[in-house]
Amino acid sequence: MSAVLEVRQISHHFGGLHVLRGVNFSVAEGSVTGLIGPNGAGKSTLFNIISGFLRPTEGEIIDSGETITRLTIQQRSYAGLIRTFQTPQVFGQLTVRENLIAGCYKQGRTGVIKSLLKFPAVRLELAEAARLADQTCIEFGLEAVSDQLAGRLPAGQRRLVELARAAISKPRLLCLDEPSSGLSSEEVAQLMRILHQLTKAGITILLVSHDMDLMEISSVIYVLCFGEIIASGSMSELQADPQVREAYLGV
Amino acid sequence: MTLTLFVQSVLAGLTNGFVYGLIGLGIAVVYRGARIINAMQGDFALLGGVAAYLALTRLGVPMLLAYCTGVIAGGALGFIVERLLIRPTDRRGGTDDSYLLVTLGGAFAVSAAVLLYFGRDSHVLEGIGGNASIDVFDAAIRVHAVWLIVISSAVVIGLKLFYSYTRLGQAMLAASIDIEGSLTIGINVPLMRILTFVLGGMMGGLAGILVAPLINIYYEMGLLLTLKGFAAAILGGLTSPFGAIFGGVTLGLIESLAIVSVSSGYKDVIAMAILILIMILMPQGLLGRRGRQGG
Amino acid sequence: MSAWSRLSGPLLKYAGVAFLVAAWAIVPVVAGRSTVDILVFTALYTIAGLGVAFLLGQCGIVSLAQSVFFGIGAYSTAYGVTVLGWPATVSMVTGVTLSGFIAAAVGIPVLRLSGYFLALATLALAIIGQVLFLEWDWLTGGTLGIGGITPISLFGYSLNTPFRFYYFVWPIVIVVIWLHYNLLQSRTGIAMRAMRDAPSAAAVIGVNIARLKVKIFVLSAVLGSFAGSLFAHYVSFVSVDSFGVDRAINFLLIAVLGGVRSIAGTVLGAFFVTSAPHLLSQFGDVHALLFAALLIVAVIYLPGGFGGAIAQAWRKLSGESRVAENVGGVRRP
Repeated sequence: MSAVLEVRQISHHFGGLHVLRGVNFSVAEGSVTGLIGPNGAGKSTLFNIISGFLRPTEGEIIDSGETITRLTIQQRSYAGLIRTFQTPQVFGQLTVRENLIAGCYKQGRTGVIKSLLKFPAVRLELAEAARLADQTCIEFGLEAVSDQLAGRLPAGQRRLVELARAAISKPRLLCLDEPSSGLSSEEVAQLMRILHQLTKAGITILLVSHDMDLMEISSVIYVLCFGEIIASGSMSELQADPQVREAYLGV
Repeated sequence: MTLTLFVQSVLAGLTNGFVYGLIGLGIAVVYRGARIINAMQGDFALLGGVAAYLALTRLGVPMLLAYCTGVIAGGALGFIVERLLIRPTDRRGGTDDSYLLVTLGGAFAVSAAVLLYFGRDSHVLEGIGGNASIDVFDAAIRVHAVWLIVISSAVVIGLKLFYSYTRLGQAMLAASIDIEGSLTIGINVPLMRILTFVLGGMMGGLAGILVAPLINIYYEMGLLLTLKGFAAAILGGLTSPFGAIFGGVTLGLIESLAIVSVSSGYKDVIAMAILILIMILMPQGLLGRRGRQGG
Repeated sequence: MSAWSRLSGPLLKYAGVAFLVAAWAIVPVVAGRSTVDILVFTALYTIAGLGVAFLLGQCGIVSLAQSVFFGIGAYSTAYGVTVLGWPATVSMVTGVTLSGFIAAAVGIPVLRLSGYFLALATLALAIIGQVLFLEWDWLTGGTLGIGGITPISLFGYSLNTPFRFYYFVWPIVIVVIWLHYNLLQSRTGIAMRAMRDAPSAAAVIGVNIARLKVKIFVLSAVLGSFAGSLFAHYVSFVSVDSFGVDRAINFLLIAVLGGVRSIAGTVLGAFFVTSAPHLLSQFGDVHALLFAALLIVAVIYLPGGFGGAIAQAWRKLSGESRVAENVGGVRRP
């Protein structure tokens, strides 16, 4: 199995504070890879570096052989690297359907001028995006709320919208930041089903979570502690590892 | 450039600089206490100047008392602003934009009120020591300007001491940094907010009475002062009292020296261009530590 | 659902539109010259105001710089026509191009700022513009201004009265509004709203935020400049007083009062800002205070402005369940 993502010697510091030191790991293609660690371990920073929200002070991120450390968020997105956020970032004043249509942004080509002059391509793009959006709504069980403003939905459904929007944009690597926080256990079960479907469709998933039940779906989990990877392996291997147990287990 | 011209420029720059610094100080006070950028700060100054002028010329009040009236008027306006503008915006979910628009509206309101009452003429407020000036290397600086610098410096030091060593000052800071925590330890957060605006208003009023004798009171002076004060505050790091004065003096000196080489009509263009450059190139200022990208 | 109730919604809508058009066409015939004059200015300010409203409502950017572009458009026309002897169209296009370039040049660094910084930066720009218009009197005539700007001539027909200009300018407003709607109902329109609602997520869906902001800012400037050029041809004399911070505030007011998401609201806002000084002129400059008070009230109590109120009424009338922004059609069950 080839590596879709390789994190190589990533270090980062804010001022005098070293948040990450020489982090190395890789995400195999088609896998679900987990990243866990206690609060303050540096998971958010690492996630931000991988997704392009932060430039690391040292180290490289390699995506399928190409170094992407200097690429912008948008460039990574076009390369198939999509992330979600710890607090679901939905477009609050757009409907669910419009949120999904927005997710199809990359598939369009028309710009400001063509839009102003109402070129036929504009309408066609939107129609195609709307079709995809309706389809995705059904797949994610969102048809009932598809015309509601996303900002007015409860937290669980907003997460779902964000995930659906990520899925609709045809990702290769999906980076999920605490996707289950704030969800009920039914919603977590639904989430796991969706993730399973996504993996079946060939999407690689990188998962950061505190939820150990959710982590069960990972084939390999990396443990980040004080900015370093201290262990890796399957869930059962980690649970048996005394170092991991000492540093962090459970929450 | 002759020595005299240079010294004149430096003196003018210093004087203006302290004014900008005082406005910047007011902005910093409000920002520190309420996390809001007050677009009305220059208009607090305008009102202070107008109040002092009216007290002095229409009511015949002695100068010191008239000056105090100006400061108090500023504080009173600060109170009104907090109750009528800020509090309702809070209640309706204030975004950065709402506060900006609301305080801009307030700025226009004060300006419009002055326009209505005074028309487009400018008025002269009597300065300390009248028109007397001191000679420095053949250049002249008005006695009032010297007082301006002295009083401003005293105010800055006083403010620093207030925030660092008095319980009230620390309570005001705490209330803005951590609302829930402050409430838990018994700080009256809404009151702290009101006091922040009153204090900011008084700073503005003080700036107004100090600057009015030098530039004359006219209805449009508010916004420009606010912007220059804002530049001073950013240069100094937006939260530091000393920083605002430092930023103001820097701005004043650059402005002054630049005018010497270019025509004086461009004075404001230069100041505004400096403001924009500061915002783009060094939003955390020269002294401030943590950057805030303004929204 | 009976046939009548299914028809009545859209039918009423069309009837309403037809009525409005008829009313619009009749006004100059029955109303006095000053009313027509006000309506012409309303049209001009609508065009400029739409630029500001669009920037604020769709992209969340508060711009006080529209007065600068309005002035560039006006002075380009004035200078081009009276001094250089260029035809009106050439001068206007020059003005628009100049404004576009300046907007891009200034926008690229400045639009990276956000929130307060950006808004105050645009205010600083307005002041810079105001001073430069005054100082560069070799170009603008300074306080003396430029006069004798010949009216626009359409196929030999000179638009030198409010009556004639009225019938010329309002169709232009309609075209501008049409362009706006097109932009709203497009991939770019969605990208703008995404950028406004959640910038981080917008970046992740692939929107180049910095570039889009600049493009929209340029668009807004182009509208301002175009309006300014038309303005110059209408009033035939321009001077610095028209292009200062006051004007910038008026444009912002039009946007905020009218409701930044509502085009009809912007028209009403423009009408209000134009007519209020007239109606209140007997009280001196009191309209300035009124405008300030209204800005405050609108920001606090009427986040949708006049336009928000109208949009709600319109919706009830035509039976739609969503606001105009809905792209790709509403899905009916």
